[in-house]
Amino acid sequence: MDNISYNEINDDVVRTMTKTTWKYWALLIFCASMAGVLWFGAWAYQIYAGQGVTGLNTPTFWGIYLANFVFWIGISHSGTLLSAILFITATPWRRSIYRSAEAITFFSVLTAAVFIFVHMGRPWNFYWTMPYFTTRELWVNFTSPIMFDVFAISTYMTSSVIFLYFGSIPDLAAVRDKVTGWRKPVYTYLSLGWRGTDAEWHWLSKSYTFFAVFIIPLAVSVHSIVSWDFALSTVPGLNKTIFAPYFVVGAIFSGTAAIVTLMACYRKAMKVEKYITLMHFDKLCMLLLVMSLLWSYINVVEVFSGWYANTSAENETLMYRMFMKPHAYMYWLMILTNSILPLLFIFKSLRRSIFICIIVSIGINVGMWIERYLIVATSLPRKFLPNMWHDYIPSLIEISMTIGSIFFFVMLFLIFVKLWPSISIYEVKEDIGIPMRKGFKRH
Amino acid sequence: MKRRDFLKFIGAGGIGTGLGILFGQAIKPPGSKLIPYLIPPEDVIPGLANWYASLCTQCSAGCGVLVKVMDGRAKKVEGNPLHPVSNGKLCVRGQSGVQTLYNPDRITGPMKRKGARGSNSFEPISWDEAIREVSGKLKELSSKGEAEKLYLLSSSLGGHLGMLADDFMAGFGSSNSIKYDLFDNRNLRYANKSTMGLDAIPHYDIENTQYLLSFGADFASTWLSPVALSRGYGEMRQGGHSARGKFVQVEPRLSLTAANADDWVPAKPGTEAILALAIAREIVESGHYKGSDVSAWKSLLAPFGRTYAAGVTDVDKGKIRTIAKEFMNARPSLAIGGESISGYSNGVSGLVAINILNHVAGNLGIEGGVQPNSSDLFAGRRADRVGPGIDALIKAANGSGIGLLLHYNNNPAFTTPGSAHAVEAIKNVPYIASFSSFMDETTALADIILPSHTSFEDWGDDFTDPAPGFQVATLMQPVVSPVFKTRSLGDTIIGLGKGVGGAAAAKMPEGTYAEHLKDSWSGLYTRNKAMNASELTFERFWRDTLAKGGWWKESKPKMSKLKVSARSAARHISKEPAKFEGDNSQYPLYLIPYAQAGHLDGRGANVPWLQELPDPITSVVWGSWVEINPKTASRLGVKMGDMVEIESPYGKILSPVFVYEGIRPDTVAVPIGQGHKLYGRYAENRGANPLEVLPPTVDSRTGAYALNSTRVRIVKTGRPGDLVKMDVSTDELGRNIVQTVPPGGAPHKDTSHH
Amino acid sequence: MSGILTRLKDKLASYRVPGYRTKFDYKWTMVVDLDRCNGCEACVVACYAENNLPVVGKRDCDISRRFSWIRIERYVEGTYPDVKVKFIPIMCQHCDAAPCEIGCPVYATYHNQDGLNVQVYNRCVGTFTCATYCTYDVRRFNWFTYKWDAPLEQQLNPDVTVREMGVMEKCTFCIQRIRVAKDTAKDEGRKVQEGDMKTACEQSCPTDAITFGDLNDPHSKVSKLAKSPRRYRLLEELDTDPSVIYLKRVMEDRKGSGHGTSHG
Repeated sequence: MDNISYNEINDDVVRTMTKTTWKYWALLIFCASMAGVLWFGAWAYQIYAGQGVTGLNTPTFWGIYLANFVFWIGISHSGTLLSAILFITATPWRRSIYRSAEAITFFSVLTAAVFIFVHMGRPWNFYWTMPYFTTRELWVNFTSPIMFDVFAISTYMTSSVIFLYFGSIPDLAAVRDKVTGWRKPVYTYLSLGWRGTDAEWHWLSKSYTFFAVFIIPLAVSVHSIVSWDFALSTVPGLNKTIFAPYFVVGAIFSGTAAIVTLMACYRKAMKVEKYITLMHFDKLCMLLLVMSLLWSYINVVEVFSGWYANTSAENETLMYRMFMKPHAYMYWLMILTNSILPLLFIFKSLRRSIFICIIVSIGINVGMWIERYLIVATSLPRKFLPNMWHDYIPSLIEISMTIGSIFFFVMLFLIFVKLWPSISIYEVKEDIGIPMRKGFKRH
Repeated sequence: MKRRDFLKFIGAGGIGTGLGILFGQAIKPPGSKLIPYLIPPEDVIPGLANWYASLCTQCSAGCGVLVKVMDGRAKKVEGNPLHPVSNGKLCVRGQSGVQTLYNPDRITGPMKRKGARGSNSFEPISWDEAIREVSGKLKELSSKGEAEKLYLLSSSLGGHLGMLADDFMAGFGSSNSIKYDLFDNRNLRYANKSTMGLDAIPHYDIENTQYLLSFGADFASTWLSPVALSRGYGEMRQGGHSARGKFVQVEPRLSLTAANADDWVPAKPGTEAILALAIAREIVESGHYKGSDVSAWKSLLAPFGRTYAAGVTDVDKGKIRTIAKEFMNARPSLAIGGESISGYSNGVSGLVAINILNHVAGNLGIEGGVQPNSSDLFAGRRADRVGPGIDALIKAANGSGIGLLLHYNNNPAFTTPGSAHAVEAIKNVPYIASFSSFMDETTALADIILPSHTSFEDWGDDFTDPAPGFQVATLMQPVVSPVFKTRSLGDTIIGLGKGVGGAAAAKMPEGTYAEHLKDSWSGLYTRNKAMNASELTFERFWRDTLAKGGWWKESKPKMSKLKVSARSAARHISKEPAKFEGDNSQYPLYLIPYAQAGHLDGRGANVPWLQELPDPITSVVWGSWVEINPKTASRLGVKMGDMVEIESPYGKILSPVFVYEGIRPDTVAVPIGQGHKLYGRYAENRGANPLEVLPPTVDSRTGAYALNSTRVRIVKTGRPGDLVKMDVSTDELGRNIVQTVPPGGAPHKDTSHH
Repeated sequence: MSGILTRLKDKLASYRVPGYRTKFDYKWTMVVDLDRCNGCEACVVACYAENNLPVVGKRDCDISRRFSWIRIERYVEGTYPDVKVKFIPIMCQHCDAAPCEIGCPVYATYHNQDGLNVQVYNRCVGTFTCATYCTYDVRRFNWFTYKWDAPLEQQLNPDVTVREMGVMEKCTFCIQRIRVAKDTAKDEGRKVQEGDMKTACEQSCPTDAITFGDLNDPHSKVSKLAKSPRRYRLLEELDTDPSVIYLKRVMEDRKGSGHGTSHG
């Protein structure tokens, strides 16, 4: 990254926003229509006909929608949490990727939030879960973990947006200075009159650091809270005290994997290989390896504690999850993708192979989705009374919405790339150093 | 609502015939006016429920019920707490009466056949037309001098409706009244009549017995009077007795009732009678029997030695001895025999054997044993329920002996063995008029349909049989106005009788059936001392009786001496097991078709609640199944839910497999009730009817079809079946869900109980 | 300042202290004698009739969406010929420490002053949390708007709401009947007494296995039955404190099973 001029960076980033090929449009329209049909079309049908169009049944009231919700919340941890941690630890390789990562956070929280409404029986009454003032003096139930979710997720989403926006202000100003036409007033407005004075930099840095510090415990708590949706129940397989760290680790794990996947694609598509280098992949893959080991450890602990408890209900859930139809194959696929494949990253050469990175990171995301799915789909069908056991098989509507949500997410990202400087201009510049004169080298 | 309150409530309204005025149109007494709702009837307050006492006609047990009526609609049926049969309780079928009333598949008005016979294509006609046409046909028959060729095929019509029908038939000049129901206890009546001389089914006092030995009597779901007997069962177990009664069930399959037994004895099908006699022999040999004819019994029972019986019945020798010892030492004890034992080719023999067992153990005419029921309430006018069987009708129809068939409320096209070819026989009848409320397989063969009310729209009565040891007469009154253009069967018969003219018309009462019923009760009141002692005037008696739901004099059952003579019994018992059609090598499995709690003989299949009610044992809904022992299943290579063919020498049916530990490995069992070709949207084309594969075996003494009379083989089809069962696992996995204590492990009874 | 405090105190006092775990007006309790229960399922049909439960059809039954608020569970022990089938009616246990009540974000299910776990259909948004947390699988969800084929709808009980699509429901201990009994009692200036009302399942039970009443009344039948040495509660180890008390079935241990399923 050494021989890049400031101007070139500006030009490159602005180019990603303004130069749009027909292929890009085609992809965007494809994603939008797929999201519209597969997700919102199916959802409209579900609202019209009722939750009965799903495969949910009497013991298994939570299915794929809850799995998707947890999955997307998990993905969201990639960005903001990672960005904040790396910022505080002053990790230099953070700079070119964190903007996209934060965007991912926002979009995946958004997707996750929609899934809350998707899974509701009467989504048109969603606002009843908010503590609003009514003449009936009817308050919400603050002991409900679902209520915790409402607060945690809305706080998280707000903080993530602010964090993303604060970090982008200088870049928005840079874009403002480059663009013409309809973009000009938009970015003028968005950059809040940024001029680049010392005072502005000072306060930006202060507030950004504050948010970075603030957001780390927040993100950890959000996923802990999501885990309490399950852990606060008495259902065997769900009531695990290990769930909070398990979910947080899983979230970072899947989030990082999502970043790797997306970076690899983005880098290729946007031709920004010079900013997102193999070094970045190397570091991210190291993180993946660590997270994989941690995840595997907790997974073993979970199984062990279930086995050690040696109650009929716990044993049954474990057996059902690991060895019985219809979900056992998914369990072992998850072990393969989450515990075994990431071990490839022990080797530096594999960490630096984009191909391997994509394969493994997609695998991890599939595996992490399976993990969330198995938590609901193999615990609830085997509750306390064997008479009421019933397997859960998702319906086409549910599968359609799950696939649709991925398109929705990609669509949001595609739009984002065109509207927002997706690589942090000023921080990449920091990375390069101050170009005092030609031939200046930092190292 | 408390008993007393409810009585006040319904008594105060003085409903009586008033209700007929309120809602009735078909049963409108002469001179009544159309009263607008602006002047509301005294006892109708919108939003408040009225409870009317009536009678349940879902089976022949005759439970008194209360119907909750709000704003002219029947909402719920509950047992009448004053009624000695139902005691305020009601079974699954009884409670579904409201869904029979409001069934979307009822016949909505009189109809005439349009297409070919059996094509189920009808066109609506008016009631006048319908009555005119049928009476015309009747007159035609009568003028040809073939009055004897009129047949009436109906369920066992209880009370005065049966008498009215008999009057009609007699007036017309025909004696061919065929009463048929699949479970009409024909064999039981015959066995009791021929060995104990009883006209009515006795009261089996389960409540007070200390040891109940049941041979396939599934009283928890279908046998005789399930509500009354189940109540007795509860009391036997945890009522106020000094010790908890013991209960042993002998049956090839673990039925709902057997599941409640302390011990299940899966004797080989067809040998239960031998087991009963072997137990009787043990008792006689032990010297427990003190009668003067002990030597006659000894010689009669001599062939039924323990060793012989153990060999034939597949019951351990020691077990026979234990049961015998417990049965005679527990005082009182009681043996009963149900559908399973009476359904063999020698059904009567089995039931006689049970009577013998009760006799030698000393259980006849005692509390906690068998108590006779009086049948003198009707002054000799009781409709004889053991008349010629359906086989007589089939024979007559095949021999062109039937000129006109009147049909009501039973479905022989469904409830007779396929090999009896009832449908083909009935098709030979030149003219069929049906009074059915539902389009079932038999009704579809009719030329004209004059649909009757269901019980909640109609007047009627029933003289309970089996009664609880004393006489019970239950009144049925309309609680809602007719939902469709149907008519009371009584009124239809009166209309036809008047239309025919002559002797039949002379025998018909003036006025409506409702009035006739009241007149008949007036006659009863005059004749019966106990009745006219209870109230001063008939009008008051009638009003109170309607409010209360009927008349009965609750008293301790009369303990008259009953006995079985060795001579009368000797004619009926034999050392041979019951016969099964089909060669053992070709057809290795016994077939036991049994009555399912919800559907009985198939009549419950059109009720959505009952279709969706899980079978108490298998938890299957909306379909039928075949129960197979796991050993047999693995030998055949079939598993739960596989579709298999059940093939007998007489036909085959398709049914999904239900693998069940509670059935003998050499036996399969199929529930009766599904497999309707016609019977409304809920019943049609669902499951299989095991009767289709049965041989036309009848017990020659009674004409009752033997249900358990064929062997079958199971043929794999390799296809998955359509089994939908609610239980996913029946393994408790040590989770202590249904906790138990061994007898004697804790005090059996709670002093607080009752 | 003290004025504000007094007002606040009054205000707080004006909110009815929930009877939950402190003081109940009544403590509705059901006792189910498993030694009487013969598994006939009359209670199930009674519940359908009383509470307007829809019939869902074969397909939905197949994916376990049957509606019955009370169900008979059966457990089979042993192999032929030493087989035992045991029955247990299970309805909402109206737990005093109900897992479902913790889960509901909108208070659609809560504990009322009579110790009942009540479900407010209007308030329900359908998050399924209560049903997921329920340890007895007694909650039922309106997957669709269910229809009754005309004229079957004429049977519907006007005392009970017909629920719409998207809400959760469950056994209410026939709260509409309790309501009537309480109103009647209030009119007569007394408390509800033994025998004033019966739940639909209790009313229909041919073997008298189900008894319902007020546990706070020391003379009620349930109070007496609840002291039975056969008493136990379902999945008691989960500490949900159910209001349904079961009396153990008297049954001989299976031959060779070696141990009793429980110890009285």
